[in-house]
Amino acid sequence: MENKVNYDPSFAEEVFRNVDAGDEIKMCMNCGVCAGSCPLREHMDYPPRQIFALIRAGKREEVLGSQSIMLCTSCYTCAVKCPRSIPVIDVMHGLAHYALKQGYVPRKDTAAFGGEFWKQVYRLGRIDEKDLPRRVFFSGGLIEGVRAMLNFMDIGIKLMLHRRMKLLPERKIKGIQSLRKMLDKAERLGKGGAIA
Amino acid sequence: MADVQTTSQAILVVGGGMSGITAALEAAEAGYDVVLVERNPYLGGRVTQLYQYFPKLCPPNCGLEINFRRMRQNPKVRFFTMAEVASISGREGDYDVTVKMAPRYVNEKCTCCGKCAEACEAEIDNPFNYGMDKIKAAYLPHEFAFPMRYILDPSIVGTDQGKKCLDACEYGAIDPDMKETTFDLKVGAIVWAAGWNPYDAAKIDYYGFGEYKNVITNVMMERMAAPNGPTGGRILRPSDKKEPKNIAFIQCAGSRDENHLPYCSGICCLASLKQTTYVRERKPDCDIAIFFIDIRALDRLEDFYVKVQADPKVAFIKSKIANITEDEGTGNLILEGENTRTGEQILMNFDMVVLATGMVPNRIELDAAPDVTHDEYGFFTNNPEQPGIYGAGCVRTPTDVASSVQDATAGALKAIQSIARR
Repeated sequence: MENKVNYDPSFAEEVFRNVDAGDEIKMCMNCGVCAGSCPLREHMDYPPRQIFALIRAGKREEVLGSQSIMLCTSCYTCAVKCPRSIPVIDVMHGLAHYALKQGYVPRKDTAAFGGEFWKQVYRLGRIDEKDLPRRVFFSGGLIEGVRAMLNFMDIGIKLMLHRRMKLLPERKIKGIQSLRKMLDKAERLGKGGAIA
Repeated sequence: MADVQTTSQAILVVGGGMSGITAALEAAEAGYDVVLVERNPYLGGRVTQLYQYFPKLCPPNCGLEINFRRMRQNPKVRFFTMAEVASISGREGDYDVTVKMAPRYVNEKCTCCGKCAEACEAEIDNPFNYGMDKIKAAYLPHEFAFPMRYILDPSIVGTDQGKKCLDACEYGAIDPDMKETTFDLKVGAIVWAAGWNPYDAAKIDYYGFGEYKNVITNVMMERMAAPNGPTGGRILRPSDKKEPKNIAFIQCAGSRDENHLPYCSGICCLASLKQTTYVRERKPDCDIAIFFIDIRALDRLEDFYVKVQADPKVAFIKSKIANITEDEGTGNLILEGENTRTGEQILMNFDMVVLATGMVPNRIELDAAPDVTHDEYGFFTNNPEQPGIYGAGCVRTPTDVASSVQDATAGALKAIQSIARR
């Protein structure tokens, strides 16, 4: 029996028990509508359906080490279309968070973006549309930063013309202290988002 | 109006499709008085709109013709078209039913000479062909219609067009003064065979039905394949009337989907396999792709699936299509999804797309009714604490024609038992 595959349910059980919304994947019927509609599918090593299938197949390393779970942007396209009403985004974020706790690290640029995003939300209560990319661009060094800035110059100018990006720095939201209390508490509960 | 004398020994059948006709005839041939009411101007229901049955690929007309003859020969059955149940009160053995009849504006003197349609210039969307073509506003619903009688669309009654029809009729068959009428019945038991509607494909917004002309539904495909259909039996894409070189069938279009119909209708897989054979017979060059989650061809029907699988021009691709966009220049359709067998992304171009939509049970809103009960999906359920009303056919469970006939026979037996045990 050379072609025999032994399915190991232990990783699936680990996911059901420990990952937020992890047991929702029991509903998946492998239709592929999430994988077919994800705008980031070309950048994912495994689209959501394949992640769910890998969990069932017991492929712990492939799942927790995958970039897909770190890439989900919460656009909700998959969750809206899912015929089994699986909150795909919650599962993906749950997996990312669990992977981080288990010591898996996202790709360098993903980590840089996530880290900066989190810091800005904590500091301002909002995202500064020019400060965030600038910090991410220059996280890899001066030359890389300048190159990235030049690449995105056209988009930047258009954003300015459409008043989607202000020249002046963004100010803190009202009640930033209350927001920080919430974020602190979320972090204490171990639900501080994918990349804390 | 109709002088309908019935007693508590009579049976009412609601719906004159295949299930309703079967239940009515089975009960009548067992010696019971039956009254059948049908909302359409003709009997036969959805079956009359089919081109062929699966798996035998025979036309439904011969079966319908036999049933209509049984009906004509049996004085125990009385039927009313354009009639709906307005209210039901009472209980098993003692129901009072009010039936509402819409005016046809054509009486029994009609000989189907067709002079009124010749004289009439106004046209309406043809409901028999799901609006794919136009028909004169004075029309015969279809050429096998039973009863064989014309009908005037209410939109021309009282207008110049209506006057032209009236003047053209040599037999005094047109009666523009007809009004909606009602009559009362007393019956002992009821068979509920109200039938189904195809799911509204426009609700699945990412498939673009209604927006993209070359996205049609399976029921429309069935009319297109029929010789008495809008294209005379030729399969043409709606945008430019050209013969498609490749066609995609999308299974579970709205079915097995909690955002639409959570259940499997159980017939759409076979319907698409059947329609694939229509296309392949007529167009040896046409490629077919069937996109599916699972093919549900059960029992003996699996043989049909295996037969279609053997055709090298038919590809079965395991994927629920996630999005359709239209190429505006050509009207072609671009399908996106994930091939779940290989994990590859799908980006494919087709001339025409057929959505395999499921069945939605008809719900009749009654002014007053005893507990007509439904399950969570809207299908009729036989309430054991409320005997006397029995479901039959697709209003009770989504199924094919052969099973509907069996179910209707069972429904007739339940109704007979209900009367006989008192």
